[in-house]
This record gives sequence, C-alpha cells and structure tokens, in this order.
Amino acid sequence: MSVGVFEGLKVLDLSEDIAGSFCARLLADYGADVLKLEPPGGAASRKMDPFFGDDPHPEKSLFNLVMNLNKKGATLNLEAATGRSLLKQLAQHVDVIIEAYRPGHLSQLGVGYQELSEINPELVMTSITPFGQDGPYSQYLGEEIVNYAMGMIMSISGVQGQEPLKHGGFQAQYEGGLNAAAATAMALFMQFNTGEGQHVDVSTTEVVASTMLATQTLYPFSGGTPVRRRPSGSMFGHPMPCADGWIIVQTGGGASWDDISEFFESPEMLEPRFSDQVQRAEHGEELDEIVLNNIRNRSKWELFPKAAQARMLFGLVQTPSELAECAQLESRDFYREIEHPVIGKIKVPAVLFNLSLTPYGQCAPAPTLGQHNQEIYVDGLGYSQQDLNRLRQLNVI
Amino acid sequence: MTLPLDGIRVLDSTYVFALPYTGGLLADMGAEVIKVEGPGRPDVTRTGGYAGAFPEGEHGKDWWNRPSTYNLIHRGKRSLTLDMTDERGRELFKQLVSVSDVVMENFTPRVMRGWGIDYPSLRNIKPDLVMVSNTGYGHGDGPYSGYPAQATTQEATHGHCWITGYQDGPPAKAGASFVDFLSTWTALFAIGAALRYRNKTGQGQWVDMGMYQAGVLFTSEYIMDAIANGREGARIGNRHQTRAPQGCYRALGEDQWITLSVGDDEQWRSLCRLLGQQDLAQDQRFVDILARQRNHDELDEIITNWTSTVDKYELMHLMQRQSIPSGPVLTGKDVHFDPHYKSRGFLERVTYPPERDMGTRPFIGRPYKFSKSPLKVQGPSPTFGQHNETLLQDLLGVDDGAYRELVQDAVIATVPTTGEPSPKIHPEQALERGLIAAWDSDYKEQLGI
Repeated sequence: MSVGVFEGLKVLDLSEDIAGSFCARLLADYGADVLKLEPPGGAASRKMDPFFGDDPHPEKSLFNLVMNLNKKGATLNLEAATGRSLLKQLAQHVDVIIEAYRPGHLSQLGVGYQELSEINPELVMTSITPFGQDGPYSQYLGEEIVNYAMGMIMSISGVQGQEPLKHGGFQAQYEGGLNAAAATAMALFMQFNTGEGQHVDVSTTEVVASTMLATQTLYPFSGGTPVRRRPSGSMFGHPMPCADGWIIVQTGGGASWDDISEFFESPEMLEPRFSDQVQRAEHGEELDEIVLNNIRNRSKWELFPKAAQARMLFGLVQTPSELAECAQLESRDFYREIEHPVIGKIKVPAVLFNLSLTPYGQCAPAPTLGQHNQEIYVDGLGYSQQDLNRLRQLNVI
Repeated sequence: MTLPLDGIRVLDSTYVFALPYTGGLLADMGAEVIKVEGPGRPDVTRTGGYAGAFPEGEHGKDWWNRPSTYNLIHRGKRSLTLDMTDERGRELFKQLVSVSDVVMENFTPRVMRGWGIDYPSLRNIKPDLVMVSNTGYGHGDGPYSGYPAQATTQEATHGHCWITGYQDGPPAKAGASFVDFLSTWTALFAIGAALRYRNKTGQGQWVDMGMYQAGVLFTSEYIMDAIANGREGARIGNRHQTRAPQGCYRALGEDQWITLSVGDDEQWRSLCRLLGQQDLAQDQRFVDILARQRNHDELDEIITNWTSTVDKYELMHLMQRQSIPSGPVLTGKDVHFDPHYKSRGFLERVTYPPERDMGTRPFIGRPYKFSKSPLKVQGPSPTFGQHNETLLQDLLGVDDGAYRELVQDAVIATVPTTGEPSPKIHPEQALERGLIAAWDSDYKEQLGI
C-alpha cells in the first residue's frame, strides 16, 4: 500500500456502490489503510459494466477495479449476528467507516453510528445516500438520473423543445464520493485536534445541487427561473464539428474578437452585425455558418495548439482512447500500471492531484473477493484457522 | 472547539468559481478566510457574464458587491484589496502569509515566480504552510501546461462532452462549469488532509491541482473500456447501460418533467400497475430488461401517455411508494419550495446589514452535515476591501501614515478601478428571448424575504 498523507489511518469501507467506494478509494490513494468489507457474494460493484474482455466475471469488472484501487478486501455478512459482532470488533480499531446503505439500515442491525461510536468514540462515520439521513425523501430510492433531476442540473441541460438531459456516465456518484472524502478529511482534522469523532451525512442530490450557483440564486435575486438553451443560435460555448471531430470555443480569456476572427480566417466576423455579445447572439446562425465553414476541413489537433498561441479559451472533444494516450496526463504521471491477479498488467487512471511532500505512492489493484480474510480475521482478530473455516461454512465470510 | 477549522486562517488569492468556492466552504467550517483581490482586478463573479443576477435587477450604488454568484461564493469571508504589481502589495501579502495556515492561488506559474510568491519562496516565510495551486492543466512541463483554460472548454477536452448528449446525437455539455466544482471539492479534500498531516508532523506542503486531471478521472470507466476492450463509449442520453426503462418524461404542465429508472422485473411489474396496464408485464415486447431496452422507444410513448397527465411531484410519490427510483426535474425556483430541501436546511438565509441594501437572500449551503459541528454560512459576503483596515493595521501593524499612502497610491481600494457590471436585462425581455423559463414578479412575497 502507498505511504502518503493519510499514513496510519485505518478505514473500513462497507459500501457496494460507486460513491462510497470512490470516497474510500481517495483515502486509500493518499495512504490510508482501507479495508473493503463485502458480502460473501461480492459487492454490487462487481457486476458493473464494463468488464475486461467483455467477460462478466466477478473479478473482471473494470468499474469495480478502478473504484477499489489500493484497498484490502475481506468478506463479511452483516445480515448474520456473528458478522455484526465481527464488525464491532473491527470497528474498535479504525478511524473511519464509510457506508452507503439506506438511512437507518445499519442502526436496525445494531451497528449504526450510535452503537459503533459507543465502542469507539473517536470514530468518524461517513454515510453517503441519495437524499441524506433525514427529511421526507430520506427513504426514497435514488439513481444517477434522479440525483441529476432533483439536483436542478437537468433543468438547464439539453435544449428547449426536447427533454432535459443528464450528464453522461456517473458524475453524481463520483461527485458524491469526492464530497464525502472532503468532508471526512475535515472531520478527521477535527478528530486529530479534539479526540472526538462524529457522523458525516452526505446527500448526493445536494452535491449535484451545490454546483448550481447561478441557477439557484436567480429566483431569490430577480424572480426568474433558468432554462435549457434554445435549439438554434450561436454555437459558441458548445461543441462545433470540424474535420475529425468537435471543438469548443468560448469568447473571453486573453483573446480579442479580432484574434478569434483571425483564428477562423474569417474577416467577415469583424462586421458590425457581430460587434458585441448581443449582436452575435442576434446573428448567431450567420456566425455559426462562417465558423463551421472554416473548420470543416481543419483538424482539431491542428486547431488546439494554434488556439493556445492566440490565448483563446478553446477545447477539443476527446474520446476515451485519446484520453488514454494523452501526453499531458503522462507528464503528470496520471496513469499507473497495476498487476491484477486475474486481469494481469493494466494501466489505470489514478492521480487526482499532486502533493509535494507525501505524493501518490505505489498503486495496487482492487482486492479479489475475500483476498485478505486470513490476514484480517486470523492475524488481526486472532481467530484460528478452524474458526475461519467455520465462519465460511456459516456464510458469515 | 466546535467547528473543524476554528483558528485556521486562509489566504484566498483565487478567482472565478473553483477555489473561491472552496474558500466559502472553508469559512462555513469556521476558518477565517481572507479573499485577496487587486484594486484593478476585481473577481469575475463581480463583473460581466459570471456575476449572475442583481437584487431586483438593480445595479445599485455599489454594483460590484451585489451580484448573486459573488454573494453565494464569498459568504463569510473577509475582503482585502492588494495591488500585487506594486512591491508594497507583494510585501504585505508575504507578511500575511507568515501569519496564515493555508494559501490558495490560481495565477499562472510564471506570474507567481515573477512575484516571488511561488511555493519555494513562501515556504521560506512560513515553513509549515499548506499551499494550494489550481491551474487548468497542472504545473509541470506537459504539452498543455501553459494553455489557457476554463471550465466550459475543458468539459470537451477532459472527455465529458463525448459521453454527454441525446441518444446518437452530437457531443453536448451539461450543467454549467462542471469541472470547476471538481476542483472546489478536491481542494477541500487536500486541505483537510494536509492540515491534519501538518498538525501531526509539523510539516506543510504544496498541493498542485490541474482541473483537466479531475475531469478525466471522472470518466475512468470509459477510459478502462477503451484500454481493455478498445471501445469508445456511446452517447445514450438519459438511458442506462443495464436498466430499462429509464428516462425523463413529460409531466403535467408546461415544461414539467419526471425521471424514473426501472432496475428489475419487480419494479417493472409495479410500474405496469401504476400505468393501469398490468397486461404489459406479460407483453413479450417488454418482458425482461433486454426486451425493454430493444423496445425502449415504444415503451417511452406508453409511459409518457401516463406521466403527461399527472403532476411531477405526485408521480414521484406514486413511484417511490412502489420502490421505483423516481424524481421530478426541479428548477432553480422549485428547490426553494421543496419540502425535503426545506427540512434539510440546504438553502440558508443570509441577512445583510441595512447599509448593504440587499435584504435577506437564501443561498446554497453545503451537501454534508456533521453530527457534532453545526456547519453554517457564517455571514454575508464582504464588500470590496471591507477589511483592509482591520487586516493591515490591526493584524499587520501598518501605521496610519503608511496606510494613507497605500490608499493614495491605490495599492488598496474599496472601489474597483476597472470592470463593469453585466448589462441589465428586464425579466420580461429575458422571457421573450427564451433566456428564462418563467418570471414571478412577486418572488419576494412567495419566499417571505
């Protein structure tokens, strides 16, 4: 395991989803000793697309792999009384527990924050749920699309006349995990200073809502309700097709409108009908025609460095394989190679940020199911080999 | 100690959204956060297109202190103006560093070195300093490290536009300034971790963040699919890889929408009951997930026939009571009246002193609650340079004569020397142009503010 800013910190990860797993992984990435506890049948994340070689084998989920880098793994059945007693033993010796069950589930089993903090008052327990631990929707079920809808973001995404659009992938889950990690780090800072733990309650829907600065404030400042963009008009600020893909250009930054017109080799952009923001919005379609005509035969890779030279705010739509080969990311040591017992050697996206004194260390693969049972229960808690077999027989581990 | 960051002083020399928002969240946690701006370089959330709305659409006499985005982000901070291009400004900045725990900045690396306020220089002044630098592509010698960057264009470059968009349509954006917020929270995480390490070991360190990197990490599963299986991902709109039906459907009323997501056959049978078409559960076109994915378009029509006649909130309650994940598309207005948001206290009301002429306004709080530390917005945003005197005279001991000179030479100021307010658009005009969905002239009565 890597040595890092959280060296010596002990964490139990009870989550089976993306958000909880990602939160615990971030702690593991930066040096915490994280133990993933899965039900004997494996965490739900082991069934998630995509799979290595498209083979839906429990050790080959690539999603599970990246969400659980740098962790150890053991199995534990919380539905069994013996399993809960094992959890209580483990909880005595850890700083943090990460969990993502429905609010109240662990309390009903007698292993909620209340019960565990009695055993270990310094414990920081972080719960990540769709709507938080309390409030009228706390027992409602979340899904990525539901977090997005109720977090306001869909109301401004997509175009008018069509349905609101969600972000691709599982952004809300990643965001929930990152927020949980941030809140946990702060609770741990306080724990270090005061010796007191606490329960941290993260709502993924509120996480999404937290990005809606202009959307939320428009109403109490002026009575307006923000909306999705119109289907036509200037494509500035949105992807525009070029010869080999899409680019995106935003006015502002260090480039003047003159610079931008020169970049697009289109002197007609300097005509009065495009002279300011309002004019350009008014004549958006004409503007698009000029720009699209110019870039139709130009490559995004030719345009990107040229735009940087002109100090323009410019982006190009990159595909996953382009990102996998990106020289900028290589220069930042973003990807790491791991050796997985079933998958073999493979490159993984790893480093969120750099720390000068305690950098991201070695990268270890996600644990296989029950990989560290022996180490945790026999070496750690002092059970005999015979006990271990018996626990396995009883479906406790 | 009741708040995690009681006694921590943060020098926040950052602009736009990402780290300034971190600063606001640090203030909620009890830190003393000092926002530093140049007299001729007011934050872009005060000026132009990023500023958001003005109270009642009025610029007022001090427009630079009134925009909504500025006020949300900079809540609970202190404000200091310092002209960093003047040697006295840099000297005072360094003196402040020597009495601070954390410094955050998002200047270009070249500028920081030129001013002698890069990490190696500041570490000499404050050996256990935690410093956070946020740039578009991160420091170092990579090909894009010197490229200008901003969230709107990065959303394409870090891969999100490729995976976002209507089914089989072109790449698209979602939300606003997405990657900025990933940096906001990454910085919060890094600061918590580095401060704990400092208290443990006595050693500070430098946090070097690139927004690009954060954005890319959030598409990890797509990149793994490319690395392992040579697949480039696909835009599937509101649908799901392994659940069906999932989507965003028209609800009763103009531009009202409901989302739902069916993950298994039991949820499907429950949905059929709600649709009043129990026979659909046995219909071969929709009998299992594979069939429902194949005939998703047809299914969407059937669902819309039901949802378009029912209120979006009622739809949510009906489906959630049957354990079907579902939720209405909430607008920027809706959240102010939603019982769950209300019960959680997610929007916090900030009351301004009468001389600010801002009244009371609700703002986004934060998405996490601590059981023992009552995190909250500690107060309104400061006015430009509001704490110049306190910070320079009381904290750093600048004498009256020197202070007067700083004012005379515009090294410090309480009115920005450049910048203009974003132009006023009357709400009725905005409505007509399709810039907003609706306008309530009685919003203050509705909110009770």
